[in-house]
Amino acid sequence: MNRSLLRANVVIGTALLAAIAAPRLVAADLPKAETILDKYIEVTGGKAAYQKLHSQVQSGIFEMAAAGIKGAVTSYRAEPDLVYTEIVLEGIGKITDGTDGKVAWANSAMQGPHIKEGAERAQAMQAARFNGELHWREVYKTAETTGIEAVDGKDCYKVVLTPAEGSAVTHFYDKDSGLLAKVSLISQTPMGEMAADSFASDYRKEGDILLPHKVRQSVAGQEFVITIDTVKLNPEIPKDRFDLPDEIKALVNKK
Amino acid sequence: MQLRLAALALLLSGALPSPAQHGLTPAERQWNIDSFEMVWQTVRDKHWDPKLGGLDWQAIHDELLPKVEKAATLDEARAVMSGMLDRLKQTHFGIVPGEAYQEMGSSTADDDSGPRDGSPGMDTRVIDGHVLVTSVEPDSPAAAGGVKAGWEILRIGGKDLAPALAKIRDSLSSQLTLLDLLQAAAVTYRLSGQVGKSVEVQFLDGRDQKVSVKLARARPRGQLAQFGNLPPMHFWVESRTVKPNIGYVRFNLFFEPEALVAAFQQAVTACRACDGFIIDLRGNPGGIGGLATGVAGWFTEKQGQRLGSMFLRGATMKFAVFPRADPFLGPLAILVDGCSASTSEVFAGGLQDLGRARIIGTRTAGAALPSVFTRLPNGDGFQYAIANYISEGGQPLEGFGVTPDQEVKLTRRQLLEGRDPALDAAVSWIEKQHK
Repeated sequence: MNRSLLRANVVIGTALLAAIAAPRLVAADLPKAETILDKYIEVTGGKAAYQKLHSQVQSGIFEMAAAGIKGAVTSYRAEPDLVYTEIVLEGIGKITDGTDGKVAWANSAMQGPHIKEGAERAQAMQAARFNGELHWREVYKTAETTGIEAVDGKDCYKVVLTPAEGSAVTHFYDKDSGLLAKVSLISQTPMGEMAADSFASDYRKEGDILLPHKVRQSVAGQEFVITIDTVKLNPEIPKDRFDLPDEIKALVNKK
Repeated sequence: MQLRLAALALLLSGALPSPAQHGLTPAERQWNIDSFEMVWQTVRDKHWDPKLGGLDWQAIHDELLPKVEKAATLDEARAVMSGMLDRLKQTHFGIVPGEAYQEMGSSTADDDSGPRDGSPGMDTRVIDGHVLVTSVEPDSPAAAGGVKAGWEILRIGGKDLAPALAKIRDSLSSQLTLLDLLQAAAVTYRLSGQVGKSVEVQFLDGRDQKVSVKLARARPRGQLAQFGNLPPMHFWVESRTVKPNIGYVRFNLFFEPEALVAAFQQAVTACRACDGFIIDLRGNPGGIGGLATGVAGWFTEKQGQRLGSMFLRGATMKFAVFPRADPFLGPLAILVDGCSASTSEVFAGGLQDLGRARIIGTRTAGAALPSVFTRLPNGDGFQYAIANYISEGGQPLEGFGVTPDQEVKLTRRQLLEGRDPALDAAVSWIEKQHK
């Protein structure tokens, strides 16, 4: 699961409000954000490995253990910013979310079809950027290291990324390994702005890339865990996979 | 999403120890102290407002703990805990005496074992203290036994209902909106039991004659649906047209999103030229909160509308409505009664506030919050809400319910005559919109 997908799933998971530990007092000479971001690319496979990557399919399990809700999650992604994510939950049905590069949308039997606009769309499109790790300079206008903070007991560099449009995203990179350990953001949803924390772990190699296979998300006091069991790099994805669903097309045509 | 079936949760509770009104044993005294601590900590940790409206919760603890420790009876200890919750000045925080708690979830004395997967197939309401059959499912044991709408139920399993209902009423003196819901649920629970096992029910029939009928219990109507950790429940949805050009949908729970939405899609699509639409939420205790917005999307084309907002601890969740591509925009009536609760209230109250629907029937249960019932160490029940919900019009539903635009009450006479006055009123209102 790459960084962008991690964020995309946060959006699906909606709101969160988790307490964030108070930042420690920081040593004067923190590394520059771009150094940390570049190191992440390096430790997870290197620029060349990412550049060989043009599409990706990941599948696994989505679970809210406290509520007893569980289901399958599959995410299709392709250059430059195509996304289709599907979660099928027992007792709820199918929840889908995606973008064809122009229209960002979400749909579920429970809430109905919805076209994302404004800040919600901006956030979805930022998350949709394929290989966003490589292209962060295009997605964010500034990146700043603001401190060191422990995540799951490990010291992490705290990097605040500010996009041209929308609210800042905070990444926490393991000081020793350079791996991304946590992403904090304010999820923009029609239900309101909600703080969301995602914790990445179980990094394993898929092809030449090191990817987290477990993401724990905390949203509005609810906890979700996504466990990835299959990753396909550069698979053949049907051309129409990223087409807008009929319900979304109908809304677009109505505009 | 939140699942809110408060009354149901109450009924799913287990058997409880008998109340102790004698001098307390050391163990009973400790149970009361443990209960007090559990109530206090739960409010501290789970109330949606961590500041508790400015109360010094620790000081309240320190003030009241000695009183619980000195309480000579369970009643005294309960009064201290209730008094602590009263300081919140909010509904749906309360102590339910173990005795009443048990009445809400007990069956007939001689038939309380085994799964509770069967029912005789009739719906009931408690109206003015009388338990009335409001409908009988076709092909059900009740139908086979000749039971008719309007019959009054006097006894179930050889036990009078009146004392049990009185206990529930007395225990709810400060939350009367819940009375209809909990009394009806108590009756339903007593009628239910293992499939194949029978229950003796004494009725007052249409000629005011007492008649006893032994009714088998059969699988309830609908398909078994499972959601999360909740026990499986039967879900059904029906749609038809009435009089002759008005769409009508009724369903028993906000459950099974794909099936429910498919039913609405079919009903709305088939009803493009209808004069109006009626959604019947009478007896619907709620379900998945998010489904209220999903269903509402079939009846509005305005973007950016909300049914209301839920205030959780540190987060606010707006119940945003996403209009479907081809919604029904004609007159919409929603039927409700005292057994319409939770998501039903969010849906009806929200559309009422938006001016989109006319609400017809009787006041709803006022149980719109995700409230939880739990059992205390001393055997009492403890109800607490984990969020606050404010309808789009700025009014809380909790403890107040949705007040119909047009109140229509049921009577035994109307039921015996085969009439449905709330449905008739909805049809009449829709017809007037076209004159």
